[in-house]
Amino acid sequence: MLILKSLVAGEIHGLGISRRIQQITSGTFVIKPGSLFPALHRMEEEGWISSFWGDSENNRRAKYYRLSKAGRKQLEVETERWGRVSWAIAQALEAS
Amino acid sequence: MPVLAKARSFLRNLFLSRRVEVDLDKEVHSHLELLIAENIRAGMPPTEAQRVARIELGGIEQVKELVREERMGDWLHSVISDCRYGIRQLHKNPGFTVVATLTLALGVGANTTIFSMVNALVLRPLPVPDPQQIVVLAFQQGNGGVGHQFSVPEYRDIASQTSDAFSGVFGYWFGIDGLSINGRADRILTNYVTGSFFSTLGIKPLLGRFVVPGEGETPNADAVIVLSYEYWRARFDSDPSIVGRKVLVDGKPVIVIGVTPKEFYGISTPLNIQAYLPLGMLTLEGNAPDFMQNRTLRSMSVGARLLPGRTVAQSGAALAMVGHRMAQQYPAEEKETRLMALPELRARPDPDPNNTMLLISGLFLGLVAMILLLACLNVANILVVRATIREGEMAIRAALGAGRTRLIRQLLTESILLALIGAAAGLVLGRWVNYMISSVDLHTDLLVRLDFPVDWRVFAYTLGAALLTGMIVGVVPAFRASRTDVNTLLHQAGRGMLSGKRRLRSSLVVAQVAGSLVLLIIAGLFVRSLKIAQRSDLGFDPQHVVDISMDPGEIGYNEAQGLAFYKTLLDRARSLPGVEHAGLTSSIPLSYYGDADSLTIEGYHPDAGQRQPRAMFSVITPEYLDTLRIPLVSGRSFTEADRANSPYVAIINQTMAQRYWPNQDPLGGHFRMGRDPKRSIEVVGVAKNSRVTGVTGDIVPNFYVPVEQHYASGLTSLQTLVVRVNGNPAATVPELEGVVRSLAPDLPAFDAQPMLRAIDTLNGLLIFQFGAVLVGTLGGLGLVLSIVGVYGVLSYSVSQRRREIGIRIALGAPAASILTKVLREGALLVGIGLAIGIACALVASKVVESFLTVSPSDPVTYVSVTAVLTAAALAACYVPARRATKVDPIVALRYE
Repeated sequence: MLILKSLVAGEIHGLGISRRIQQITSGTFVIKPGSLFPALHRMEEEGWISSFWGDSENNRRAKYYRLSKAGRKQLEVETERWGRVSWAIAQALEAS
Repeated sequence: MPVLAKARSFLRNLFLSRRVEVDLDKEVHSHLELLIAENIRAGMPPTEAQRVARIELGGIEQVKELVREERMGDWLHSVISDCRYGIRQLHKNPGFTVVATLTLALGVGANTTIFSMVNALVLRPLPVPDPQQIVVLAFQQGNGGVGHQFSVPEYRDIASQTSDAFSGVFGYWFGIDGLSINGRADRILTNYVTGSFFSTLGIKPLLGRFVVPGEGETPNADAVIVLSYEYWRARFDSDPSIVGRKVLVDGKPVIVIGVTPKEFYGISTPLNIQAYLPLGMLTLEGNAPDFMQNRTLRSMSVGARLLPGRTVAQSGAALAMVGHRMAQQYPAEEKETRLMALPELRARPDPDPNNTMLLISGLFLGLVAMILLLACLNVANILVVRATIREGEMAIRAALGAGRTRLIRQLLTESILLALIGAAAGLVLGRWVNYMISSVDLHTDLLVRLDFPVDWRVFAYTLGAALLTGMIVGVVPAFRASRTDVNTLLHQAGRGMLSGKRRLRSSLVVAQVAGSLVLLIIAGLFVRSLKIAQRSDLGFDPQHVVDISMDPGEIGYNEAQGLAFYKTLLDRARSLPGVEHAGLTSSIPLSYYGDADSLTIEGYHPDAGQRQPRAMFSVITPEYLDTLRIPLVSGRSFTEADRANSPYVAIINQTMAQRYWPNQDPLGGHFRMGRDPKRSIEVVGVAKNSRVTGVTGDIVPNFYVPVEQHYASGLTSLQTLVVRVNGNPAATVPELEGVVRSLAPDLPAFDAQPMLRAIDTLNGLLIFQFGAVLVGTLGGLGLVLSIVGVYGVLSYSVSQRRREIGIRIALGAPAASILTKVLREGALLVGIGLAIGIACALVASKVVESFLTVSPSDPVTYVSVTAVLTAAALAACYVPARRATKVDPIVALRYE
């Protein structure tokens, strides 16, 4: 979900995704390449994101990822589900 | 879109794998570069930046492998690459591949062979719709044996009173008839069927029509015949215009009305029925016209089809009711009759609740499974050794990011691949052996169908055996190999941990020795039984005797013509040079057919619960007993004076005399036969006991009657001419055939052979030979496999302990002590194996007890077989032990 969210703002490459997630979660989540790449490839195969080769900020070839229509929908679904779950957990913790 | 994307990725992963790989490689590398650039921007020196980046990335190859595992179709991809790699491995080690494949092929081949036989004999259902509904009926009177054949009135009782259990009941009567057209006669095996036979089975004719309900109820009516597909093809060249043609059956005209479907061979597995006639046409065979009414003339097999959804057990109530009613209505003939139904698959060859066929099948499947297990253990042994060699390879794979499951999967793929190749070779081998067995000469012209086709069951069994083999063979080495610790192994350069592995290999050897001992002991018991059976006193002398059979009824001779023919035949035979005696009999001892009938004996009243008297009988001419040298104990032999119009007489054997005239003189006693209850037969002689039904077991009651008084009292007017010659019996065979041909050119004469061959049947010695050869082959295989196993384990152990042995020798240990040390190790394994094997054999041999003429714990067999195996196993130990004494301490210590 976080990966999808990081792509909403626009297309970026793998390292960019990991940095952006680090940034938007204020360093709570650091995604290592060992988890990042398998996840990216799985999502690409699911059709949520698509990829292309482009040039990075300092003119290096890098693989960029872009959110697809299906990916946007998936993000909505997951955001909604997460909202429910976190609300439920918050409720549970407050209850006692 | 997602579905499409998925499919696209799947195909891309599968077919454009190289491009995907390059892409992945570039991506990971660019990621690394971006990381380095980032670190440099953060102010690190370049080398430090690279180090930190690499640590964060965590190993390029590992990351790539993780991504690969996420890929769609990864499993397929890895299976393919495992297979490819496996094939390359096998290709690279041709010696190993050949040995392992051959070992497994022998194991699987033996299994395929036996399973094909079991499949054809007891597993394959009849080729009719809903075959599981077909049952075969049997009955028991009191505590007597189980009867498989009914009389026609009994059949009618059952058929008319069981409509709440069966949708149809049918009966059939075996016949052997002559079918002739254009002057050429064939002897064929026939079924005389009730009109309900085909309709109840529910099969459709290939051509024309079948015998239909309503037909076959009147004697001598409905002169029609249905041919089997195979006979139609062989004799009439698949001529479609056969329907409506007239043929002669036993000399009388009969119209062909139809042909059975190709896969239908009758319902008497493993017999091959060639034609079907309506029951009423039994008059063709010269049966007394009262066969439809005679309640004790029991020669008809009866089957039925269960109503849909009913079980065999549920039909029991209906049958019990019928049996009860029959016993009440006919107290004399049906005393305490109890009827039972058995599923057709459990009724091969006869409907007997104590059917041993399944037990035997199970035993043989068990024996061959043992062979396969022995083969697996051997191959597993080799694989364990190879796994040690490949520990380095496995460590490198693990270092490159292969997970443990991935390694196990790859090793298993390799061993399953090996097993599949072995199984393919085994299937071919098995087919060949089956072919050899099908062509075993059963020493009769009767058509037994020993054909073991490969169907899906055989195929599935072989495939299952192969996969299981692959698992068994591969699983232990695979788990061991995958457990290796990368670090220690890469440093140690392949010196594995030995003790645990040796224990495993030792138990493999113990299992092999035990398994092969069981096989060898059972083989030995069969061989011993064969030897004893060959030497046993048959009660008649088959040496220098020739047999030739014929049935003049098959070309339409009536009783007078037949008797005249036989008289001339005997005269002509006696005038041949070298002939001492010549006689006729309706059935020769130990052959495939014989007659039996129920008897009413004057002055003998069976106790309640005892079976009605019953005995085997043969219709003979006076000289028959002299020809076979069966002596009379008391009374007289038949003479020319015993004719159709003189008092009826019989000669009985000792068993019959003792059983039915206990403590009295049977001479002058009278009895009546069930098929001809009006005539009383006087006992005029007692013959010494001789073997009739089999070379083992008790001798059954048996009697002889003269052919003049009982022309067709047997199954047919068939007679076998038995001639004693003072020269080579085989040389007389063509002369006898010539005599028959000159007397009646159209008459088919068959089974012309020396009597020693004629009694070499499944009832005679053939069963022992069959068993001895089959189990002996299995035992031999087992022996070879276990010797190889013992040798392999011991030489491996010696090679692993070269250092230790070298030190011992260097310290002055004499060669003899090294030799005994290694030998003792081998002997211990063999000893444990032998002990377990003997214990198992004592249990296993109980199962084959009924086939043996020796005790299942026959000490001679046990001692000799154990001695042979011990000698062979110790010889296998001696070679590596000897090699151990030759170890050069300098070389051994410098090694490594």
